Amino acid sequence: MVDPANTPLGKMLLEEITPVVMVLCTPLVEESCLKNGLSFIQMLSPFCNFTNIDVPVRTASDQPYRLQKFKLRLFYASDIRQPNLEVAKERLKQVITQAGEKDFSEMWSDPPQVNDLLSRPESEILPSWFQFFNEELVRTLSFSDHEAFDHPVACLLVVSSRDEEPINRFVDLFNTNKLPSLLNDGAMDPKILKHYLLVHDNQDGASEKATKLLTEMKSTFGPNDCQLLCINSSQDRQIHHQENPWAPFKSDALPTENLGCFLNFDDFNEIKDLMQELSSKHIIPYMEQKIRVLNQQVSATRKGFRNQIKNLWWRKGKEDASDSPNGPVYTFSSVESQIRILGDYAFMLRDYELALSNYRLISTDYKLDKAWKRYAGVQEMMGLTYFLLDQSRKEAEYCMENAFNTYLKLGSAGQQNATRCGLWWVEMLKIRDQIKEAATVYFRICSEDPLHSAVMLEQASFCYLLSKPPMLHKYGFHLVLSGDHYKKCDQVSQSLKYCDNVPNSRSSNILQCFHLQIKHAIRTYRSAVSVYKGTTWSLIKDHVHFHIGQWYAFLGMYDVAVTHMLELLACSHQSKTTQELFLRDFLQIVQKTGKTFEVLKLQLPAINISSLKVIFEDHRTYASAAAASVKESVWHSLEEDMIPSLSTAKSNWLELQSKLMPKKYKESNICVAGEAIKVDVEFKNPLQISISILSVSLICELSANLEEMNSDGNGSNIELQNDENKTSTSTRDIDSSSILSEVDLSLEGGETTLVQLTVTPRVEGILKIVGVKWKLSSSVVGFHNFESNSLNKNVAKGRRKAKYSPDNYLKFIVIKSLPKLEGIIHSLPEKTYVGDLRHLVLELSNRSKFPVKNLKMKISNPRFLNAGNQRELNVEFPACLGKKTNVVQSGGHSNINKVLQNVFLFPENISVQEETSLSWPLWFRAAVPGNISLYVTIYYEMEDVSSIMKYRTLRMHYNLQVLPSLDVSFELSPCPSRLQEFLLRMDVVNKTSSECFQVHQLSSVGKQWEISLLQPVDSILPSQSLFAGQALSCFFKLKDRRKSSTSEDSIPSPSLLLQSDVRLGPQGNSEALFDVYSSPLADFHNSERLHQGMPLQGNEYKVDFVFISQLLKGNIDSGAPNTPLLISHHACHCSLSSMSSISWLVDGPQTVQHNFSGSLCEVNLRMMITNSSDAVASVRISTFDSPSSSIQSSDASAPQPGLPPENQAGWCDIPVVNDMKVITSDALATRFTKSVSLESVSQFIWSGSSSTKLRLQPRSTAEIPLQISVFAPGIYDLSNYVLNWNLMPSSEEEKQGEASKSSGVCQGYPYYLTVVQST
Amino acid sequence: MATTACFIIVSRNDIPIYEAEVGSAAKREDAAQLHQFILHAALDIVQDLAWTTSAMFLKAIDRFNDLVVSVYVTAGHTRFMLLHDSRNDDGIKSFFQEVHELYIKILLNPLYLPGSRITSSHFDTKVRALARKYL
Repeated sequence: MVDPANTPLGKMLLEEITPVVMVLCTPLVEESCLKNGLSFIQMLSPFCNFTNIDVPVRTASDQPYRLQKFKLRLFYASDIRQPNLEVAKERLKQVITQAGEKDFSEMWSDPPQVNDLLSRPESEILPSWFQFFNEELVRTLSFSDHEAFDHPVACLLVVSSRDEEPINRFVDLFNTNKLPSLLNDGAMDPKILKHYLLVHDNQDGASEKATKLLTEMKSTFGPNDCQLLCINSSQDRQIHHQENPWAPFKSDALPTENLGCFLNFDDFNEIKDLMQELSSKHIIPYMEQKIRVLNQQVSATRKGFRNQIKNLWWRKGKEDASDSPNGPVYTFSSVESQIRILGDYAFMLRDYELALSNYRLISTDYKLDKAWKRYAGVQEMMGLTYFLLDQSRKEAEYCMENAFNTYLKLGSAGQQNATRCGLWWVEMLKIRDQIKEAATVYFRICSEDPLHSAVMLEQASFCYLLSKPPMLHKYGFHLVLSGDHYKKCDQVSQSLKYCDNVPNSRSSNILQCFHLQIKHAIRTYRSAVSVYKGTTWSLIKDHVHFHIGQWYAFLGMYDVAVTHMLELLACSHQSKTTQELFLRDFLQIVQKTGKTFEVLKLQLPAINISSLKVIFEDHRTYASAAAASVKESVWHSLEEDMIPSLSTAKSNWLELQSKLMPKKYKESNICVAGEAIKVDVEFKNPLQISISILSVSLICELSANLEEMNSDGNGSNIELQNDENKTSTSTRDIDSSSILSEVDLSLEGGETTLVQLTVTPRVEGILKIVGVKWKLSSSVVGFHNFESNSLNKNVAKGRRKAKYSPDNYLKFIVIKSLPKLEGIIHSLPEKTYVGDLRHLVLELSNRSKFPVKNLKMKISNPRFLNAGNQRELNVEFPACLGKKTNVVQSGGHSNINKVLQNVFLFPENISVQEETSLSWPLWFRAAVPGNISLYVTIYYEMEDVSSIMKYRTLRMHYNLQVLPSLDVSFELSPCPSRLQEFLLRMDVVNKTSSECFQVHQLSSVGKQWEISLLQPVDSILPSQSLFAGQALSCFFKLKDRRKSSTSEDSIPSPSLLLQSDVRLGPQGNSEALFDVYSSPLADFHNSERLHQGMPLQGNEYKVDFVFISQLLKGNIDSGAPNTPLLISHHACHCSLSSMSSISWLVDGPQTVQHNFSGSLCEVNLRMMITNSSDAVASVRISTFDSPSSSIQSSDASAPQPGLPPENQAGWCDIPVVNDMKVITSDALATRFTKSVSLESVSQFIWSGSSSTKLRLQPRSTAEIPLQISVFAPGIYDLSNYVLNWNLMPSSEEEKQGEASKSSGVCQGYPYYLTVVQST
Repeated sequence: MATTACFIIVSRNDIPIYEAEVGSAAKREDAAQLHQFILHAALDIVQDLAWTTSAMFLKAIDRFNDLVVSVYVTAGHTRFMLLHDSRNDDGIKSFFQEVHELYIKILLNPLYLPGSRITSSHFDTKVRALARKYL
């Protein structure tokens, strides 16, 4: 531990708590001194401080000690009073303001970083004026009546030798009415040590007169107390003191002023001796003596047990007597004052033990008397004494805290004392390395005076910075608090000045006054900014930046203000009002600067870089933005077989161009002059308030041509900003070199908007998209550079993508302008119903001068869209679909080829010329419900062969929503009574919610089928309209026309039957039926078939149907008004579920009349067997009439091995298990009972051979005669026969492994024969 | 219920990952930032105290005027800081313990990246309910 006396606090105490000498002098003395530029006190001051006085001192104890250091404080009598608080305050304020101005000059530099600060020595970190401020603050409290150490110990009476009647002057000087109040009001003993000094100015003449006066004085005042001082011995101003001892004591001295110029070395020594003698011969002995006297008194009255008891009792009795806030008034003669004086004198003479014991003694007294101020003062001194004794730190701190708290308890009266006490305490703590505690004490010193608080808080913050380890969080917080207080004093002074009603003429002056301390505020906040740099505590960051920004703006330093305000812009966490405030202030400040700010990475609005999307067109062009956003792979697969393969194409044109184009740009993107490059950027407003941004545009660099680019940026790059192009290197109109689009938009709070910006290069060269810029208000321009590595490029380049270096993403080679086709499909619906059939027109237009040729088109989904013929362009729809008898129906077949290829080739002779357009018909049919994406790509070649690109493609993309309309299903079942005839049931359900469809037509596809209505539709569906949710079932008869020749059934009228179409509409309707074989319908039908995986040439046993209905007035836009929507439904491959290759029909009489009395009845039957397959069939018919025969024909009964034996008896039919799975148990039961009851009935027997075998040639019909013998009348079921058939496939079919059934066993059909007894 | 209470969870990198004003007093614009300042400044004290004790609950460690900062440090050095003006040590301790449980549940969420902001509304409601219960 260092000697406490050598610590800063110790030194300060030894300086400050020293005996005071009151100086009373005549004006003539002052006059003489002023010749040297010094007052009398100033002249003496340098000689009051003795570092080695070496005086033996004996105080209360008998053991003397030697005093080495000693100091006297000299004051004029008029200054010995409590300083005026207001004056003191003003003075302090000035001190601070000056310091603020001085520091502020450094403020233009960057704020120091915290880490730099920490590495510096302590003395550099702390502003030097703190120390000065603290000392000034302590001095404001001198000459308090509750402390004795400021009370003058001695009085120095000075009279000039020029004065008239000097002796009388001496008496006059110590006149009571001129003396300070301390002596007059009894706070101190007026009988103090007096010392008489006669000053002689040698310039006035010789000193004989003075010595004469001295002897006179000696006789009057006593020989010891009088002295003569001769000054100004030097006659001319030659004396220059090398180390001018007066300089520190005259703070406002000018450097040119020669202080003490008339004081020569003799004077110098004389003054020195005078002061030395005064202190060692007079003051110290006087104090010694006084201590001894007082000590004796105190011992007599207060020491000892008896005295203590007496004292206690006496004080208790006094308790209720005095209740004034400061306790009783103590005069100098009171014991308490004397003890205090004793303590203070002892302290000043460094007898700390004695001082401490007296302070202890008096403190209890004051406490009991509730003289709080005095109590606190004594406690304070106790703390300091403990400190100087270097004993018991705890005690010292306890005493300081006690004193501090007691002063605070006094309220405003004690505030100043508390501050002083706190400062001493702080120093004490600092010396003991308790810097954190010191900081808290600084914090506690803060009073209501904002200026003092601000300084104290700033000092506290430095304490935190200097503590080990540094407490940066606290440092920042206290800096901010301090800054707020500095700011607050400005506001206080502002309001004060307004109250004073200062005239307007001085208002500018006042304005300056307002912002006296704002510089300090800025200084503290600037340090705080460096502490809070990069913090994620958003509110803190906003607060600091907002305030410092505002304050800079107050001072007119708008540039700095703006940099701070910029930090605030993206304050999404703040409330709406705060955001508004921030934005408004920011814009105001920006406006005040009067210039345009260009801010890189402006945070408002935020840009979502990952959303960046570049759309450009090289050989791929897009009809719409939607087409551009489709994945490249989709297009790639679509175009694969249409365009020349990429690798060859690339090598072709690159090889051609390799001389022209430097290799490093080979991999660049290519775009065409005159065609826009679109960049999609997403802007997000992070705030809750709406902002509007203006003139959003791209920043691009376009170098005029490739050669210039080769020489690597020799300054010829044209930087384009907005439309104002700054360069003028080329002779051409530079405005035409590129066009940038500008977008204005307004973003609501939290809104995200995708903005499409375009740049259109006009000349060949290299175009680089650098970034995006926008204007937040009229004067803030935000920039954002697209950094290539963070770029997510949506337009991939297929295989070549891997070769790209990221730098090239936004670099384009602009090639000379090329023809470009623009295409649109007119009136393609966005929303439609399944089956909707339309006639659309594709329009291709060419804007350029050069024609294009060799057009090809590919459609992703031929089920939906088909190219038509050129002659269909202007046809009337749907009338064109009507059946025309005279048209040879061959078009459908030619189209099949087109569909197969999937690529539609436009006729060779077609080329799209300049400024013309080509229209081409398209057929559309909504095949399936759902959201459908249609991709159409059109390939075309340039006629101009010299161009870099040989071909281009136009990509079109449409999305459409297809709603379910009608659900059509068909079911075929064989007609039981007719060979080659089928019953067709059609179920139609309207699946829509509101639409009403009108049924129109059902057609079967294929020539071999005839279709006819079983009953007119009028009877089922009188209105012909199918309302929402309604279902319709219709029955049709379907006949295989190929077999009709062999059929001997009655043929219905050919007009009805000989067609594959059935009109379902009203009979009277004259509307033509639609031709399902003509181009669009047939094409779509083929697509449907393809889709269902069927060969185009179908199996004859499968039937395709086309059901056509109309939607008269729908919610769907039909393209043309008043035209009904035509809805077609295609059902392919409807087949009979159990339809086999062999079919047969037993034919014979239904009823036979026979007289059984004669003979048994023989009935002849015919069986017609048809082989409809392409193979030869062998058929065996086995009849059986008894169980035995059934068993014999084991092969026949083999399929039914599980039949119960009783069922095999009798003539009843043997249930065919695989056909009758659905028979319920009671149905079986009735059958059994029936069979039992029929057991007795005589049977019929088959006549002839029980097994007949025959071969059937392909597609032939054979007839077999059958005969039965019936023995009794009755109804017989002639189904007990089995048909075994076996196809003998041809060799090639075998190889194919045909899945169709090649053999089978069929049970006979029920055939009921009624035999009646004839009469 | 305390009239003023500000609860903040600070991650180990001194980043606030959850903030809630749970006091019953009417919200004031400038109070919010003062609270942040006080809590931020208290981090220094936490830094000193956290390693001197094995207890997670550090009690009231700092004060500013009549506002007290109580801190609870988890094993992962995540700090729960509560600024309050009420003197209810037991309640605050229970509050911290229950919030710790909630916080652990948040940590167990595989989609939660430790040290990132807690955005779960469920957590928020629970914390506010706990504040009503204990503070």
